[in-house]
Amino acid sequence: MSALGGPKQTGGIQPPTAMGLVLGIVLIVAALALAYFLVQMAGLIALVGIIIGGVLIAFGVHFVPVGGAPAAMGQAPGIATGVAMLAAGAGLAGLFGGAWAAPLGLGVALAGGAIGGGLLMAITCTMVNVIYVFGMGIPAASGKVDKDPITGDSFPEYKSQGTEGHGLPFISWIGGVIGGALGGLGGTLIYLQLLDVYQAQLPVILNATVEQIAPVAISLAGIFAVGMFLVNAVLAAYNITGTIEGPHDPKFKRFPRAIIAAAVASAVTGIFAIGLLQLVGVF
Amino acid sequence: MSVKVEVGAGGIPHNRILIYGLVGSLVLIYLTYLNTITGTEYFSFFGGLAAVVALLWGTDTIKHLCSYGLGTGVPSAGMIALGSGVVAALFGATTGPFAPIVTIIIAAIIGAVAGLMANAVVRMDIPVMVVSLIELAIVGAMTILGLSAMACGTFEFLGMITGEIAILGFVVQSYEFSLIGGSIIAVIFMLGAIAIQHSFNACLGPGEQQDRTLMLAAECGFLSMIPIAIISFAFIGMYAAIISLVVSIVGWLYTYKKYIELSKRDAYAWLDAQPILEPKGGA
Repeated sequence: MSALGGPKQTGGIQPPTAMGLVLGIVLIVAALALAYFLVQMAGLIALVGIIIGGVLIAFGVHFVPVGGAPAAMGQAPGIATGVAMLAAGAGLAGLFGGAWAAPLGLGVALAGGAIGGGLLMAITCTMVNVIYVFGMGIPAASGKVDKDPITGDSFPEYKSQGTEGHGLPFISWIGGVIGGALGGLGGTLIYLQLLDVYQAQLPVILNATVEQIAPVAISLAGIFAVGMFLVNAVLAAYNITGTIEGPHDPKFKRFPRAIIAAAVASAVTGIFAIGLLQLVGVF
Repeated sequence: MSVKVEVGAGGIPHNRILIYGLVGSLVLIYLTYLNTITGTEYFSFFGGLAAVVALLWGTDTIKHLCSYGLGTGVPSAGMIALGSGVVAALFGATTGPFAPIVTIIIAAIIGAVAGLMANAVVRMDIPVMVVSLIELAIVGAMTILGLSAMACGTFEFLGMITGEIAILGFVVQSYEFSLIGGSIIAVIFMLGAIAIQHSFNACLGPGEQQDRTLMLAAECGFLSMIPIAIISFAFIGMYAAIISLVVSIVGWLYTYKKYIELSKRDAYAWLDAQPILEPKGGA
C-alpha cells in the first residue's frame, strides 16, 4: 500500500490543538451534567468511574510492547501483533477476572481484574521470548536505548544490523505486565460502575427482582465494557502510531494526548451507556 | 481469458457506496419490523441482509481510511467501529420503532467524538478521519442491530431482553433465555468485528481490486449470518429460522463462488510478472 499522507512523522510531540482541548472539556462537563440530571449522584459517580477506567486503559496501552508485523520477522522488539489484539486479550482476561470477583466487593474485583490482565501479559511476554530465543534464535535487544533501565544489560552488541532491535528485553516484559494490569483494572472499573447502574434501575423498570434481571445487567455491563475498552485502546494505538517498545520508548512521552482523548471518548460513550434505560418503555 | 480487468483500481466511488450502504441497511432493518406488523417471524433474515449491506459499506470505508497508513493495522479500525457501534445500537434499540434511525444518530455522535479526538488531540491529522470514524461507528451499530434483529426477530430492547422457555410443557417468561441475557450479543459483537476487519486486511496490496474486496466482505457477512441463523432457532419459530438459515447458506455459497472466481481472475492478471501497479484510486 502506498503512503499517500497520514500522520506527520516529525521529531517533537505535537500538542493537542486548542479546539480539541476546549471541545474535550465541554463534552466531559456536558456528559457529567447529563449523568447527574438522569441518574443523580449515582450516575455522576458511575460516569467518573467510567472516565477513570478509560484513562487507565489508554495509559496502560502505552506500557505494552507492541511490535506489529516487523516484530514477527524479528526486525523490531515487542510482541508480534497489533494493539487491538493485545489490548483485547489483556483487557478481556482482566474483565473476566474482575467480573468473576464482582460479588466479593469493589476492592477484590478490581484486584482480580488487574491480576487477570497482568497475568495474561506476563504469560504472553514470557512465551514470546521463549519463541524468539529458542525458536528464532535471536537475543533480546532494544533499539531505542543503550542499556536496560532495570537490569543494566547493554543492547548495542546484540542488535543486528538493519533492525530496530529484536526480542523482548526485560524492561518491555515489565512494561507489558504493568500495561496488562492497568488495562484489566480499567476494564473492570467500567464493568463494575455500569453493573451498579443497571442493577439499581432494571428491577424498577421491569418490575422484577435483582436475581431475575442479573443476566441482563451483567451482559449489558460486560458488552459495554468491552466496547469502551476497544474504543480507548484504539485511540491509544493511534497515539503511538502502532508500535511501541515499552515505558523506555520515546513514544511513551506522548501519553498525555491519549489520556485526554480517552477521557472524552469514555465520557461520551459512558453517558449513552448510563442513560440506556431512560427511554425503555417511552415509545 | 484475457487479462482485462472490468473494474479499475478506483471502482465504484466511495460516496455512492456510502449512500447505498446507509439507505440499504436502514430499509432492510425496517423490513424486519414486518414481523411486528404481521405478527410473524418470517422476516427476521432481513436483519442479516442489513448487516451484510452495512459490512460492504464499512469495508470500503476501512479501505478509504487505511490508505492513509494508520500504522495500527486494519483490524483496529474494525474494533473501534464495533466498540462504538455496540453502545449506539443498544441505546437506539430502547426507542422502539425509531430504533434504526436513533441508532444512526447516536453512532454518528460517538464516531464524531472519536474522530475529533483522534485528529485534534492525538494529532493524527488525517483528512478523512472524522468522516470515516462516523461511518464506521454507524456500520458497526447497524451490523449489531441487524444481526440482533435476525437472531431474535425484533430490534426492540424489550424483545432482546425477554425470552421464553418451555419447562415441562409450561411456557415461562425469562430474562435469562434472551438475546442479551444469554450474552448472545457478545457473539454478535465478535462475528461482526471479524466480518468487518477481515476483508480489506486479506485483500490489501498492489493488486487490490474493489469488486474482489467487496465480494469477500459480502462473503464474510453471510458467513457471520450462518451462526446467527443457527442461534435464532432458540428465539424465533422453527420455519422462520430455517428461512434465515437457507438465505444465509445460499448467500454464502454464491458469494464464496464469486470471490474464488474474482481471485482467480486477479491471480491470472499477474501471470506475466508485471511490475507492481500503484493503484490510482487512493488505496
